[in-house]
Amino acid sequence: MKRKKQIQAITFHTGACALGFLMIYPLLWLLASSFKSNDTMFQDAYSLIPKVWDAVTNYRSGLEGVGGVSFGTFFVNTVVVTVVGTAGCVMISLLAAYAFTRIKFWGSDFLFGCVMMTMMIPPQVMVVPQYIILKKLGLIDTRIALILPWFFGGAFFIFLMVQFFRGIPKELDEAAMIDGCGKAGILFRVLVPVVKPALVTASIFAFYWIWQDFFQPLIFMSTTKKFTISLALNMYLDPNSYNNYGGLFAMSVISLLPVIIFFIIFQKYLVNGIAMDGIKG
Amino acid sequence: MKKKTLALLLSMGMAVSSLAGCGGGGGSSTDTTAAGGGADATTAAQAGGGESTTAAAAGGESAAAAGEKITLKFTWWGSQSRHDYTQKILDAYTAEHPEITFEAVPAGWDGYFDKLSTEAASGSMPDIVQMDYLYISTYAKNNSLADLQGYMDDGTIDVSGIDEALLNSAKVNGKMAGLVLSTSLMTFPYNPEVLAKASLEAPKEGWTWEDFTAMCQQLKDAGVADAAVIDPAIDTNLFNYWVRQHGDKLFSDDQKSIGYQDDKLMADFIQMFKEAMDKDLVPTPDEMAQIQTLGLEAGPVVTGDGAFTQNWNNYSTLVSAANDKIKMATPPTIGAEDQKGLWMKPGMFLSIAETSPHKKEAAEFINWFLNSETANDIMMAERGTPSSSIARDYLTGSGKMASQQEDMFAYVDLAAKMAGETPAPDPTGMSEVNKAFADACNAAFYEQMSPEEAAASFRKKADEILSRNNG
Amino acid sequence: MTAKTKKHHYKRKDNIAGYLFLSPWIFGFMLMWLVPAAISIYYSFTDFNLLNVPSIIGLSNYKRIFTQDDTFLQALKVTFTYVLFLVPLRLAFALFVAMLLNQEHKGLGLYRTLYYVPSIIGGSIAVSIVWKQLFGNKGVVMSLLELFGIQQKMSLLGNPKTALLVIVIMGVWQFGSSMLIFLSALKQIPYSLYESAMVDGGKPWQIFTKITLPMLTPTIFFNLILQIINGFRVFTESYVITDGGPLDSTLSYVLYLYRRAFTYFDMGYSCALAWVLVAIIAVFTVILFKTQNNWVHYES
Repeated sequence: MKRKKQIQAITFHTGACALGFLMIYPLLWLLASSFKSNDTMFQDAYSLIPKVWDAVTNYRSGLEGVGGVSFGTFFVNTVVVTVVGTAGCVMISLLAAYAFTRIKFWGSDFLFGCVMMTMMIPPQVMVVPQYIILKKLGLIDTRIALILPWFFGGAFFIFLMVQFFRGIPKELDEAAMIDGCGKAGILFRVLVPVVKPALVTASIFAFYWIWQDFFQPLIFMSTTKKFTISLALNMYLDPNSYNNYGGLFAMSVISLLPVIIFFIIFQKYLVNGIAMDGIKG
Repeated sequence: MKKKTLALLLSMGMAVSSLAGCGGGGGSSTDTTAAGGGADATTAAQAGGGESTTAAAAGGESAAAAGEKITLKFTWWGSQSRHDYTQKILDAYTAEHPEITFEAVPAGWDGYFDKLSTEAASGSMPDIVQMDYLYISTYAKNNSLADLQGYMDDGTIDVSGIDEALLNSAKVNGKMAGLVLSTSLMTFPYNPEVLAKASLEAPKEGWTWEDFTAMCQQLKDAGVADAAVIDPAIDTNLFNYWVRQHGDKLFSDDQKSIGYQDDKLMADFIQMFKEAMDKDLVPTPDEMAQIQTLGLEAGPVVTGDGAFTQNWNNYSTLVSAANDKIKMATPPTIGAEDQKGLWMKPGMFLSIAETSPHKKEAAEFINWFLNSETANDIMMAERGTPSSSIARDYLTGSGKMASQQEDMFAYVDLAAKMAGETPAPDPTGMSEVNKAFADACNAAFYEQMSPEEAAASFRKKADEILSRNNG
Repeated sequence: MTAKTKKHHYKRKDNIAGYLFLSPWIFGFMLMWLVPAAISIYYSFTDFNLLNVPSIIGLSNYKRIFTQDDTFLQALKVTFTYVLFLVPLRLAFALFVAMLLNQEHKGLGLYRTLYYVPSIIGGSIAVSIVWKQLFGNKGVVMSLLELFGIQQKMSLLGNPKTALLVIVIMGVWQFGSSMLIFLSALKQIPYSLYESAMVDGGKPWQIFTKITLPMLTPTIFFNLILQIINGFRVFTESYVITDGGPLDSTLSYVLYLYRRAFTYFDMGYSCALAWVLVAIIAVFTVILFKTQNNWVHYES
């Protein structure tokens, strides 16, 4: 019995590691390339071991930034935008999802249809009208323009939480109501602990989507000092001239670290989803 | 109870519709900008100009005279090094002209024009814009760019060092839509060391396509992996050279259709490269896609796996960090009947936005950027061969140039013998024409069409695109 | 809960509460979606190249889509094929891996992270270079195929018949986000349900079909809707890896409308294309929502 378990474990880990390697290969490649010297970077490009090491030059030029603005500035900008954006996005989506699933109000079906609709429109054709509106509000080239598209929640997050709320028995709410909880009380004291995995999932998604948000910020922002990392990275490349790939890759590596760390920290909270034992199953 | 709900919803509805109205205004603001009517529209346009120039907007044209500070917004695309040195140039200008400061908007190539067109759509283009040949006519025809002719006539911008045909490549509908900053000439760079492997000499002036093919074959036989790394379909430039050297024109004078009469011209062009691909002398589109991921400085010609490529005369400078031995030859001719197919291709332009309130100051800066020793000392021809002989002569005399840069300048004189009349600016819709050309060629290379069918299909598509865009 | 609640029985308190909870979202929706959408619909009826004055041309853009545009048909074909292959493959794979990771093993956090990484680095330059290196000419995958005696004249990425396959594989490779959603849903299934099933002597397969799968249906439904919508809107993959080529064989619908808008200065037409796409996606979504009563299991 114990032996069988061991074999099972070995099979599992072998398979999981092999898959893991396939999954992470591009990241390893990125890491290895950030150590390679710029001129030899693409000679036998899929090798993970640098022929000529040049990590110091790459990381130094990456940290120096671009156009007289240091990488640190981009980093701080990105953190501010991402944290505020994530908080607003998850919170407001939570409120909306609660309303859609737990309150019967006039027009809810129609509004939910609107939520779904926003997911279907290609952002490429929305960017010009959005620019015009932000311009009228005087928000072009401000951090608010980076945060605004996320802050008020998003269809993905609302829909995600709606689906999770629907999996929770209504008896929970009713019991809480009898205990004298208001609607907000039910949401935050009773339901939020239950849907914690969903909230964590949503936060992880929101965090890295905002972190690497590119197209709209590219259009909305002009001042290099206010750029986020993904915008700054784009400034490294011009297909018609000599490119500093080393610096670019070094900066990419540094910029991915926070996202991965964020994920590692928060995925722990996924492990112990609330076991709803004791409540009706 | 119900009534109150209704009232609540109504008021919400009104909020929605009033916002929607604002949006409608946003939509129609562009509607009326040109006409000058509609309070909405004019305020939008003014706000655009005002914001881009912050403090001095209110002062307008007279601001400089009053000694007030003026902020010029300048946007360009490029890579990291261009951003860094351009900022130095701007600082140097501010040091000389304390009343002028800059709001620099550096950008990568990706998305540069997406952003520029969005800004143009809302009347808020930066004052000074680095502009590409591909798009200048589109912007000019829609009145987004200021006419610089006046500043050239009154000497604000000194264009005495610029070849007239090259200068006029920015002339769209009789308006000078930009100042050509640099020029490039088509070249066939080669790696002398690889040629030596096949005991070949450097190509001679006036070499022909037959010579080219024969040399490629010899290289192949000598074991060179990629004899000629050329993608004939990447854009219409090489084909344009081919058309011109046969004494024809790619586009008609009214730019509403293809200019050459006989589709055999294109079929022959495709056939020549198809055969070269079949003999493994030129990469197939599939192999080419792979080579392109390597980037310029790790391409086969640079690393010694290839002998020839096709590029522009700043090529050896761009790759000099990786290989400083690359030389540049003029493209092959068709022999005795050759009709001088080369032309001075404008590299990039500096344009001034029509909405800019500081056109005069912007023009002064552009002149300085083009001609001054300070600017050229910092720029060191990184934006391509300077269009102005003033800048070229200064750099040549300064003794600061690398040998590749000297080659780049020398090539201008070398190629002058092969250069014909400069063609009119590319028609509007050029990027779509390029795409149609690539599709047609690749269909033939993938053997989904015969060269003749591909040539006919290109003509059909290109005529449709050109007549739609230039009607 | 079914979508159809008894009409005419809204409590005033509930109406107020509902809109109160929704008000922040409604604000953002109107500002960033409703108004821009209205403007873009307006553009779709105009001749608008971004730089000119939009002039209303009625339905001409829509007519041009359906009568004169071969590229539209090609892009539609590519996108449908992509969705058809990607969605089932990615979801099946994501669910499978999520089930594996829902066991008791050491180092699960590490695996979760590893599998999630591709979704994080998504469409970056590094990824596009790696994929071109892997599947392109002289790439690792081609060498492997050769090793097994499969000689190909063209690489998988360079062959118009197989290039889309590579894009689909890339989509499946980024199964991390779907996996994560499945995983958090699995965590929410009360353990007591499994316990009672095991007491009843259920076999693993029975437990899966009788308990896990029904409990997961809301999440499967969510992922399905989401993947279909995102599948139809695929852009980045074909933009960074193949740029639509070779011979438009990977030209996704959104890549095409993006080119129309910004490369060809054809914003009015591009907006029309966008709203045709919205209509197509909406049809699929509505059909799926209509079917959910038949197979999606909600509590209460």
